[in-house]
Amino acid sequence: MRRLVPFVLIGVVLLAWELAARSGLWSPLLFPPLANIAHEFVQFVSRADRLFEAWVSLYRALGGFALAALAGVATGMLMGRSALAAGLLDPLFSGTYAVPKLALFPIFIFMFGIGSLSKVALIFLECLYPIVIITCHGARSVNRVLLWSAQNMGASRARIFRGVVIPATAPFIFAGFRVALPVAMIVVIITEMISSTDGLGYLVIYSLSSLKTDRMLAVVVAIALLGWLLDRALVALRDRLVYWEKLETYYV
Amino acid sequence: MFFVLLLWELLWIWGLPAYVLGPVAILTHFFTALGSGELYVHIGASLMRSLSGFAIGTLLGIAFGLAAGIARGFDRMLSPMVFLTYPVPKIVMLPLFMLWFGLGDLSKILIIALACFYPMFINAYYGVKAVPTILVWSGLNMGAGRRRIFFRVVVPSALPLIFAGMRVSLALSFIVMFATEMINARSARGHLIREAENSLRFDLMYVSLLSIAILGYAGDQLLRLSRERVLAWQESGA
Repeated sequence: MRRLVPFVLIGVVLLAWELAARSGLWSPLLFPPLANIAHEFVQFVSRADRLFEAWVSLYRALGGFALAALAGVATGMLMGRSALAAGLLDPLFSGTYAVPKLALFPIFIFMFGIGSLSKVALIFLECLYPIVIITCHGARSVNRVLLWSAQNMGASRARIFRGVVIPATAPFIFAGFRVALPVAMIVVIITEMISSTDGLGYLVIYSLSSLKTDRMLAVVVAIALLGWLLDRALVALRDRLVYWEKLETYYV
Repeated sequence: MFFVLLLWELLWIWGLPAYVLGPVAILTHFFTALGSGELYVHIGASLMRSLSGFAIGTLLGIAFGLAAGIARGFDRMLSPMVFLTYPVPKIVMLPLFMLWFGLGDLSKILIIALACFYPMFINAYYGVKAVPTILVWSGLNMGAGRRRIFFRVVVPSALPLIFAGMRVSLALSFIVMFATEMINARSARGHLIREAENSLRFDLMYVSLLSIAILGYAGDQLLRLSRERVLAWQESGA
């Protein structure tokens, strides 16, 4: 019985939805019955062209994320370990941190065209900030005693970096990834909703314009599932690579 | 930072495509726009939406997060739902919200509130979870009531994380505000036409961009200041 408790609220919400759909008070356009949504969802998963749209979104989100991960970890490490780099770059990052980078999207469209490139560039930019800031924070807080002992035992700078700094920063790097990955998903969906002819965000807008609310909700469910799966995959990867530290909190 | 701006200006003088404006040119346009008053209406409308959404989302997030943090039954019921839907981009609900609540401000405010709710909930929740048990025990030992412990021990210990969450939500509220306005103002097909119409007005585009940047920055600084006032006993880390 106790194990069922977590599902109570989810059940209540679903039930309320179904009741609202069946009550006839609202048009089925506003509250499509669950059965229709499930039907559309099965259609979604079984049709190659729909899955292709999901692939397009995934490819953009992961592409931008991967670029940001590479550049962000490198920049963050540099800022965390070198005072000069921190002095140069820190004002740039903390000054523009709170600025919504999404506002640059119209300009990115002009610069990189309306296709995938402008979206990937925007995802890169949005993901870069959390990764850089958290990596830098982690690289700065490496235990000094560990660095000293390594130096004392005659390790070279490269060796200290590989053997001490990187493992000590790894949990922070993954924390940054964990913040950035949902951001990548959000940005890919938003940009596809604003201007696109493919991808899941486009599918949402398109289903809505064709008054297929059930189809739209099925796509929303698919997006939710995709976001959740990506997060799980990241956590699994983290637990494998950073096996010496258990993940307990969401944020640093 | 200064170096980047200088490089940008030099590049612009040297010659860039027409859609990129130099910093000096943007500033000139910005001040003319400030003078004309056209900008204030838009800024006012945007701020009203994002701030009311932020306020609703933050308050609800803190309330539910604290409640889930202290009451186990509530936690077991609510948390799975929140953590399951956390990685989902909340903006996908916008079309549905537009159907339910109309195209006006209400759907935008609610979607911003929804987006702000999550980071607040999670931070308040972990803030409560991270309260040192010893503090609660000592409070109990010294005969403090449950209410008193909640307001004197639990809430102050959770505050630093709550402020961290507010910083995330504030940034989110601006992003979502911007996204809702972009999506709503242009349907997928109307977009290209609008873009062409806009293309003659790069100056306005950059001006609104700059004003959004300034607003976001100002909000962040304001939050940082209030954090330092409220959390005077704690050394600021972030």
